[in-house]
Amino acid sequence: MSFDIEQLDQADLSLLETLDHVLNRGLVIAGEITISVADIDLVFLGLNVLLSSVETAHEVLRKRE
Amino acid sequence: MKLYVYCVAEKIDPPAEPASGISGARADVLDLEGFSLLVSEFAGDTIPVTRDNVMAHAAVVRSILNETTPLPLRFGTVSDEQRLRSYLASHRQALEAQLAHVRGCVEMGVKIIWNTDQPDVDSSSDGPGARFLKEKQLRTGRAREVGAWLHEQLRPLLKDEQVSLAPTEKLIIAAAHLVDRDAIGKYRDQLAEARKLRQELHFLVSGPWPPYSFSNIDLEFKTRFGVS
Repeated sequence: MSFDIEQLDQADLSLLETLDHVLNRGLVIAGEITISVADIDLVFLGLNVLLSSVETAHEVLRKRE
Repeated sequence: MKLYVYCVAEKIDPPAEPASGISGARADVLDLEGFSLLVSEFAGDTIPVTRDNVMAHAAVVRSILNETTPLPLRFGTVSDEQRLRSYLASHRQALEAQLAHVRGCVEMGVKIIWNTDQPDVDSSSDGPGARFLKEKQLRTGRAREVGAWLHEQLRPLLKDEQVSLAPTEKLIIAAAHLVDRDAIGKYRDQLAEARKLRQELHFLVSGPWPPYSFSNIDLEFKTRFGVS
């Protein structure tokens, strides 16, 4: 599949970068993070694959259209 | 009482108008153990990952960026005053060192994509295993070369950096740069000049951010001692 980065506009990129920073980085106080997605509790590390790559994000955006 | 924690900072004065945080709760300054933390009272058990909550977390951390450079906490950190006090006291030295390291700086992000439709390598006669290895080797070599080139282009302006080489198939570099606030203009100018030299690369530049990539003192410890 060809990857067309131009399909991502600046607003998408800003949102993706914010997600990447807020969910994927930052100081971790071990054992004190509990988050949920669609009412399913997850430890954070389970989200890394979903939210850390531009390519994956592009896939998500493409499916959203 | 549970507290949702956004960031740790050197001691600051409470802002005239508190920022609005997770679920619309007010974000207050809590002074503990010589540090200032931005926190909200929190009643639930889990934090839903919603766009509003993520953006609220980011906005609260950013709200004090003009006054100081905080260490952002990862989204979803809930604690209480007693445990926070214990954490701050037991990690005082590392936190103070990291706050001093990021003082006066912001984070800039650069992601680089190989911008060509040409096949990576002529491997038409290879089997799938050999082709995979050849392509992986090429991607890694390319990422190393571009990473070294990018570092050299920006080196005088970087106080610190975190670089991932070829984290995905198309993304060959994901870099976070710690840059002095006063040097952001120079950083952007230098990067714009560098981009002209490499037309085959597509750059995604973001920032300034609070130093999310330079906040994890546990990660710093592990990296320093070579443990992943």
